[in-house]
Amino acid sequence: MSKVNQMMKNVLKKFTWNNIKQAMASREGLLIISIFIIVGVFTIIDSVYIMPRNIVNILEQSVVNGFLAVGITFAIVLAGIDLSIGSIYALSIVFVSKFLVGGMNPFLAIGLGILVGAIFGGFNGVLISKLKLQPFIATLGTMSIYRGIAYIVTNGNPVLGIPTEYRQILNSNTFGSIVPVSIFLLIAFVIFTQIVLKKTRPGTYIYSVGGNEESAFLSGIKIDRIKILGYAISGIGGAIAGMILLAQLGTGEPIAGSGAELNAIAATAIGGTSLAGGKGSPIAAFLGAILLSALKVGLIVAMVPTFWQYVATGAIIIVAASVEIIQKRLKSSTT
Amino acid sequence: MKKFLSVMIMVFAVLSFAACNGNQKDPIPTADPTNFNPDASSDAVNYYDLRDQLGAVPLLEGSYTFGGVAKAFENEYWRTLKTGMETGAAKFYEGGINVTIDMRSALGEGDQTGQLAIVQDMITRNYDAILVSPITDGNLVPGVEDALEAGIPVVNVNDGIVAIAPNFVGPNAYENGVLAANYIGEQLNGEGQVAIVTGMSGAFAARQRTLGFKETIEANFPNITVVEEQTANWSREEARNLANTWFTTYDGSTPEKTLDAIFCNNDTMALGVVEANEANDNVDPIIVGVDGISEAYDAIRDGKLDATVDSFPLFKGQIAVEMAIRILAGQAVPRVVHTPQALITTANVDQAATDIIQWTDPQIQTK
Repeated sequence: MSKVNQMMKNVLKKFTWNNIKQAMASREGLLIISIFIIVGVFTIIDSVYIMPRNIVNILEQSVVNGFLAVGITFAIVLAGIDLSIGSIYALSIVFVSKFLVGGMNPFLAIGLGILVGAIFGGFNGVLISKLKLQPFIATLGTMSIYRGIAYIVTNGNPVLGIPTEYRQILNSNTFGSIVPVSIFLLIAFVIFTQIVLKKTRPGTYIYSVGGNEESAFLSGIKIDRIKILGYAISGIGGAIAGMILLAQLGTGEPIAGSGAELNAIAATAIGGTSLAGGKGSPIAAFLGAILLSALKVGLIVAMVPTFWQYVATGAIIIVAASVEIIQKRLKSSTT
Repeated sequence: MKKFLSVMIMVFAVLSFAACNGNQKDPIPTADPTNFNPDASSDAVNYYDLRDQLGAVPLLEGSYTFGGVAKAFENEYWRTLKTGMETGAAKFYEGGINVTIDMRSALGEGDQTGQLAIVQDMITRNYDAILVSPITDGNLVPGVEDALEAGIPVVNVNDGIVAIAPNFVGPNAYENGVLAANYIGEQLNGEGQVAIVTGMSGAFAARQRTLGFKETIEANFPNITVVEEQTANWSREEARNLANTWFTTYDGSTPEKTLDAIFCNNDTMALGVVEANEANDNVDPIIVGVDGISEAYDAIRDGKLDATVDSFPLFKGQIAVEMAIRILAGQAVPRVVHTPQALITTANVDQAATDIIQWTDPQIQTK
């Protein structure tokens, strides 16, 4: 008995308050802890939550929102916003559907889909940098224009008959059909964008422009190019999200993704990216998207009445955002 | 940078061309199994006929849990459908069939992925049948695929239309428009100018109601012309603004500038038009909606709204539950079951719904 006690004490020693505080002082560590808490709480409420089927469900949902969130992170780090990301998402869906139904090779269609995202996203960047429009206004405008194009291209009707070949590429499961393949695509996208932001010169410039445009300009950074690049990447995030949804649904709907920009912003904010710009990371946005899906699915599994789900979701977003402040205090107390 | 811009514009042009071109070369064949229109289905039966054909509801042994997934409880229509399904389950429970229903909805009509998550949860819980009213034609497709794979029957109630669902229960949306057109045509003595306020572009109900209305006007009332057709996205506010604009253009000064009737794809929009009409003294249009929500009934009593086409969600919900029971009992339920609908005007607004559609509860087999 005393041996067991000793062991317990040893284990507990490792989980000292300081260790926990250190983990919590990094945003990513805190997010991972929060995700585990959410999973734990909902599993206690109903063990259905931890069943493989349900985990797949959470992951599938967070993949689509994850791509959007990682994309929009670039606009937000640039001290901007991309309200049109949900419309770019719809554009990639309808263009790629049309390509596929027209008999195009799926891989070529995916490539062109990414191009669609880069072009329409890049166009936002052009409006913001060349015409000096406020990002909120510019993308509010293109949100409507792009949605309109999606309706025009399809005449408002869903595009049917998406080849299964395409659906299998982006929507199959591995590891005992538990883990959706698309989650690896998202992880790859997160790693890629994280490297771009943290390790390359354009990435550093994105932080500088977002943090202080004036001084970035004075130090000779070509601000216009950086902005166009940032919004193009945001568009690419939207486009890939759309292509994955298309594979999941098997129907190309021009109406898809209306309101998706708000979910993406929520995930990014939960991830701790400041809307003031100059801060934030794709990894945090990715974790934010997983947290949000875990929560939303959790509320459904826990059978929270529909109208209360709105209240709960909003409350969690506010709590997550206020963690920023608590975290700063923790940081100052550990050092 | 100019170079970059011109390249972008060129690529965009090529893309749009490719997209449009693909469409012309390869039109989607109407026989495509994924392109399904319940209004035009050859395997469609009227509910009362089916009841006569199949007889009393089989007395199912064992206990059953159904899942019902509505679009959004924010809208009265879906709350009524919920009550209908719950009423249906309760009646069958009293009749000796041990069935309960878990009714849920998405967070608003924009929450496409949330609605899918509900279906997934119901599959995880191994429900015995799932009754879905999808937000769009596509958003629940993966869920329906999974349910069918797990051997759970899926009944598509109302729109959106899930092409792969084995059964559809709902009103004939085309017929909604036909009823409205015939009423308006008769009221106008076959002459005049009418406008249409349509629902969200691409939505099945909006397409079919508008089509039914226009084709009926064209066929039965050649002297009535449809002069305006605009969308108000199912929104009361947008419909009101739209009608206000029309009332400025159509000020009744000449015969070309009159508006004799406005058909709205749902009641919410019709009530928006009613509101605009209150402030308009120039023309006096007949206003007709679709759905039969309680506010529309009140507006008909007050003489502000002329008519609505009610598809009785309270009874539709009960019919949907009945069909799920029949399917589980192994009866052959046709691909499409059309539920009752009726035109409501001042003449029958205070009549009981059970009289209007001559409803009696279905018989249940006894042991």
